Amino acid sequence: MSLQFLLDGLISGAMIGLGAIGVTLTYSILRFSNFAHGDLMAWGAYAALVAVGALGALVGTMPLGPLSFGLPLIAATLFAMVFTAGLALLLDWLLFARLRARGQAIIVVMASFGASMALRNLLEFLFSSSPAYYSRALQIAQPVGLGIRITPDQVALLVMTVLLVTGMHLFLTRSQRGREMRAYSQNPALARVTGIDVSRVVRATWIIGAALAAAAGVMVGTLVQIRPLMGLDLLLPMFAAAILGGIGSVPGAVVAGLIIGLSEAAAVMFIGAEWRAGVAFVILMAVLLVRPTGLFGVTER
Amino acid sequence: MSLLTVSQLEAGYEPGLSIVKGASIHAGRGEIVVILGPNGAGKSSLIKAIAGLVPVTGGSVMLAGEDITAVPAHMKIRKGLAFVPQTENVFPLMSVEENLAVAAGVLRAPAAHIEEMFALFPDLARQRRLAAGSLSGGQRQMLACARALIVKPGVLMLDEPSAGLSPKFVEQVFARLVEIRASGVTIVLVEQNARAALAIGDRAYVLVEGREAHEGPAKTLWDDPLIAELYLGHRKEGAR
Repeated sequence: MSLQFLLDGLISGAMIGLGAIGVTLTYSILRFSNFAHGDLMAWGAYAALVAVGALGALVGTMPLGPLSFGLPLIAATLFAMVFTAGLALLLDWLLFARLRARGQAIIVVMASFGASMALRNLLEFLFSSSPAYYSRALQIAQPVGLGIRITPDQVALLVMTVLLVTGMHLFLTRSQRGREMRAYSQNPALARVTGIDVSRVVRATWIIGAALAAAAGVMVGTLVQIRPLMGLDLLLPMFAAAILGGIGSVPGAVVAGLIIGLSEAAAVMFIGAEWRAGVAFVILMAVLLVRPTGLFGVTER
Repeated sequence: MSLLTVSQLEAGYEPGLSIVKGASIHAGRGEIVVILGPNGAGKSSLIKAIAGLVPVTGGSVMLAGEDITAVPAHMKIRKGLAFVPQTENVFPLMSVEENLAVAAGVLRAPAAHIEEMFALFPDLARQRRLAAGSLSGGQRQMLACARALIVKPGVLMLDEPSAGLSPKFVEQVFARLVEIRASGVTIVLVEQNARAALAIGDRAYVLVEGREAHEGPAKTLWDDPLIAELYLGHRKEGAR
C-alpha cells in the first residue's frame, strides 16, 4: 500500500483549510453562509493568471531553483489577494450590505448564490471554460521515504499555507483589529458599546477572507489547474471544514480542512475515486448530527 | 450642574411602538442615580436607548452640554458614556485580560489602565488568563464593570447588576459601585433590587409605562407608599 494518499490529502486539505478560514469568518462575523466564497477563490486564481501573464511578458517566468514558478507568480499572488479583497468589498457595497441592513439572513444567503453564479459565468465569458496553467514546466516528484513522493512546488505551497495560517492566528489573537473581530463575532451588541466600529470589522472580514481565498485559488491553480468551476468544486469541502472545525474558529477550520482533505484522499485510495465528492457530504452530515458545534466550537450560552 | 440630561426620550424597536415614552432624567457629576419601576416599565430600554442600542424616535440625550442623541453606540464610549448590559456582558471566548485589552485598545487607553483595573478588582487579576465565559456570575459582573471603566468614562450606566447574583455578591458589587462613585464617576443604575439600590443611591426615579412617574432622594423613596405598592410582594426578575 502506498502512503502517497496521505501527502495528497494533506495538500488538498491545506487548500480547503485556507478557503474555510474565509467561510468561517464570514459566517461568524457577517452572520451568513457566503456561497460566493469559492468564486472569490477562482477570481483570485484568474487575477494572478492575468498578472503573471503580464509580468511574464516583461521579465519571463524567472523560476526559483527547482520550483515551477518564481518572483512573477509571487508578485501576481499578492496582486490577486489585493484584487480579490477589492472585489469582495465591491460586492459587499453593491449587494450584501444593503441586504444585511434588512436583517434577514436567508435573503443574504440567496443573494450569495446569485453572486456566485454571476461571478462564475463572468469568468467563463472572459476566459472560457477550458483549463489554464501558470506554468507548463514539469515538476519531478522526489521520494521522501515510506513510498511518498513530493514535488518542490508542493513543499513551497505547504510552507506558504503554514505561514499564512500562523500569521492569521497571530493577527486574530494579538492585534487590536483581530481582537475586535473576535469580540464582534462573540457579542455584536456588547462590541458596539465597547466602542468597536462595526464597519471596520466588516471591512476587515471581507479583506481577510477574500485575500486568503485568492491565495488558496493560486495554490489550486499551481498544483492542479485554473478553471472557472474550481471554486464551486471546493465550496462543499470548505463549508464542511468550517462546520467541522466549529464556526468562528480559525485553527478549527484549518485542522478540519486537513481532516477532510485526508478523508477524501483515503476514500479515493480505499473505496474509489468516484466517491471522493461524497466524503465532505458525509462528514458534514455526521458533524451536524453528532456534534453541531464542531470540533473547536463552543455551545452558545 | 447636570452631567447627563435626558429629555422627553422616546424609543422603541418598531416604529410607532415606543417602549420609552417621553422619559426625562438627569444625573449630576459624582451622583448615583437609581431607576426603579415595575416589570415592563421600560427601564432597560431607557438606558439601552441612552447607550444607543435601542432606536431613539424623539427627545434628546445631552452629555456635558453636548447633544449625543444621534451619536452611534460605538462613539458614545468615546464621549465618556459607558454601559454595562445585564446579561451577555462579557466576550465569553476571550480571556479576562483580552476582554479588557480589546476595550482599552479601541480608545487607545494606555496598557497601565488594565493593571489599574486588576488592582481595583483583585478577583479578576487572579483569573486573568481564564476565558470570561467560565467566570461565575459575580465575577462576570465585575469584569463587565472593569471593561466599561477602563476608558475612564464620566458616566457609567448599569442594567440590573444584581440580577442572578447571590446576596453576598450583590453586596460586593454595590460596595464596588460606591468606590467607583468616590473616584468621581457618575452612576446610573437600573435595578429591580430596590432596597439594595436605594441604600447606595443619591436620587431615584420610578419609571412607569415608559416615563418617570416619581422622583426623589433615594433615602426617602424607600418609605414612599408608591414604592411600597410597586415593590412589596413583587419578586425580582429580569424586566426588559
